[in-house]
Amino acid sequence: MSVNSLLRVGSVAVASLGVLALSACGSDPTPSGSSSPSGSSSSAGAECPQGTLNAEGSSAQKNAIDEVISKYNEKCADVTVNYNPTGSGAGVKQFNANQVDFAGSDSALKPDEMTAATKRCAGNPAIDLPMVIGPVAIAINVDGVSKFILDGPTAAKIFQGTIKTWNDPAIAKLNPGVTLPSAPISVFFRSDESGTTENFTKYLQASGGGAWTGAPAKKWTGTGAGKEKSAGVAEGVKSTKNSITYVEWSYAVDNKLTIAQIDNGSGTPIELTADSAGKALAAAKPAGTGTDLALKLDYATKAAGAYPIILVTYEIACTKGLPAEKTALVKSFLSYFVSKDGQASLTDLNYAPLPAEIQTKVDAAIQAIS
Amino acid sequence: MTAVAENKPAYEGKALDLSGKSGSRAFKNTLATVLIGLAFVLAMIPLVWILFTVISKGYHLLLSADWWSQSQRGITVRREGGGAYHAIMGTLIMSLITAVIAVPIAVLGAVYLVEYGKGTRAARAVSFMIDILTGVPSIVAALFVYAVWITIFGFNRVGFAVSLSLVLLMLPVVLRSTEEMLKLVPDELREASYALGVPKWKTIMKVVVPTAFGGIVTGVMLGLARVMGETAPLLILVGYSKNINLNPFNGFMGALPTMINQDRTELALQPAADRVWAAALTLILLVLVLNVLARLIARFSSIKSK
Repeated sequence: MSVNSLLRVGSVAVASLGVLALSACGSDPTPSGSSSPSGSSSSAGAECPQGTLNAEGSSAQKNAIDEVISKYNEKCADVTVNYNPTGSGAGVKQFNANQVDFAGSDSALKPDEMTAATKRCAGNPAIDLPMVIGPVAIAINVDGVSKFILDGPTAAKIFQGTIKTWNDPAIAKLNPGVTLPSAPISVFFRSDESGTTENFTKYLQASGGGAWTGAPAKKWTGTGAGKEKSAGVAEGVKSTKNSITYVEWSYAVDNKLTIAQIDNGSGTPIELTADSAGKALAAAKPAGTGTDLALKLDYATKAAGAYPIILVTYEIACTKGLPAEKTALVKSFLSYFVSKDGQASLTDLNYAPLPAEIQTKVDAAIQAIS
Repeated sequence: MTAVAENKPAYEGKALDLSGKSGSRAFKNTLATVLIGLAFVLAMIPLVWILFTVISKGYHLLLSADWWSQSQRGITVRREGGGAYHAIMGTLIMSLITAVIAVPIAVLGAVYLVEYGKGTRAARAVSFMIDILTGVPSIVAALFVYAVWITIFGFNRVGFAVSLSLVLLMLPVVLRSTEEMLKLVPDELREASYALGVPKWKTIMKVVVPTAFGGIVTGVMLGLARVMGETAPLLILVGYSKNINLNPFNGFMGALPTMINQDRTELALQPAADRVWAAALTLILLVLVLNVLARLIARFSSIKSK
């Protein structure tokens, strides 16, 4: 009996050990641009601390920050940065609850959030650091239409539901020479609460000439059919003829959708490029105090060549109050993010880099963290 | 139709006059057989469909050694490469901790219910609570642990917190199946043991539990399979990390369900889509391996095989 029970316990132990042994020793993949993987970490010196940095927040900046983390690790191999794209609201909450070291958010801290953040930073204020510009595209799917122009009031009427068909005179006037069908317009919107919706509705309100009746909010108040997340609306337009939506630039490109050019009132329609989106940010006004760099975007800008529908995603960090080793990590990573190298990798991913003068300001604010 | 032929002899002795109505009886029998067959096919369609889709879309990444030995560190959704090592280890570590905590409690609890507390008010209360616990959705278990672990104690989100909430989900499954297995042990065995003068605790240790051992192990494995795929506790109680972290008490930790969730929104990009399917297939394979192991252990350790 005792031999038997020994065997029995043994078999369980062997089996569970076997499961673990199956994948006993793993490693990280070698970096793709592995020019000098061994040399870089030793030469890095003071610039590269060691440790793990945890962050959470906006999904709009997920692809940007993933790319920057990947590039940063080629320089600083001993730092591990985790970013969880759970949404701006969740990111700020986790930051204030002391669960992450910095947060990503599509909107700057609101006054009550700032109060909680100050408490979390041991009595020191938190700052909003603009880091990435995420242009929002108006994407359409109409047979035979590869170039399409919209202006603020017309866009507002379409998304409000007052313009119902593609061959409406208002649309035809903006697109001379383009044959538009008489079919009804199917609008897709984000059914989840989204920073993209908030920024897009701010644009519709600012430049819609009163055609947009709702207040700007994370939750959609216009017409149409709801789809979950950016992937959902992009997929909706891709699979539905005569449809339109608003979605982050990268999703419109990845799904090969036609992106509308925007006439901001300057006279010439503006194509969505990293450049034209950057110009719109130059029209923004600072809204923060001290080293806080929260921006107030001018959605009604008439500046020549400025693509007006953009959102700025921030990193939210403590000015003081983190443990010393975390402070070093936050400074090291964020200053790489805002550096030329960090920003240069974003254009390929359909984000727009920060204009140079804002880069300088953000970098100064990061260096002031202690 | 064969069923009709087989059934006939059983009735012949009792009711001889039934042969006259065989037409309608045969019709009912055929109808029932067809309906049951249809129900079976209907139940199988989604299962086969899911398996086919996951295998056909996910298998090719699993063939490379990198998938089993590398993490996703530095790999973005546009880039191919990397593996699921971090997520596989995360899932295994969290499940193992869950099992280490849940199994002793569940087995001892079941022993109490069957051997000691039978019919008492306390046993009925425990039994009732376990029934309630069985119906608790994973999100509720996760939020409960969040409230205790993070809001009250002020700890950080870590893998161990996930294990704690998975314990709540695994406990009732293992306890119930162990209880059923112990009930199946014939009382004659216990009485024979008592007749030889063996004390009760020794009877349980040497007779009752070994007899039911195969069934208990199967229950444990089923419980593990259930908690391995849970996503809600992972989303709430630990951050996802693309990097290898084998410490359940510190830092974010990868797991297969959250790895799927992470790239789910980027299905327009081929590398991300491939990884989602491959991670799904890996999770199914892990559960499959556990189930096969359970069968093997049950077979080799059963009393009768001796």
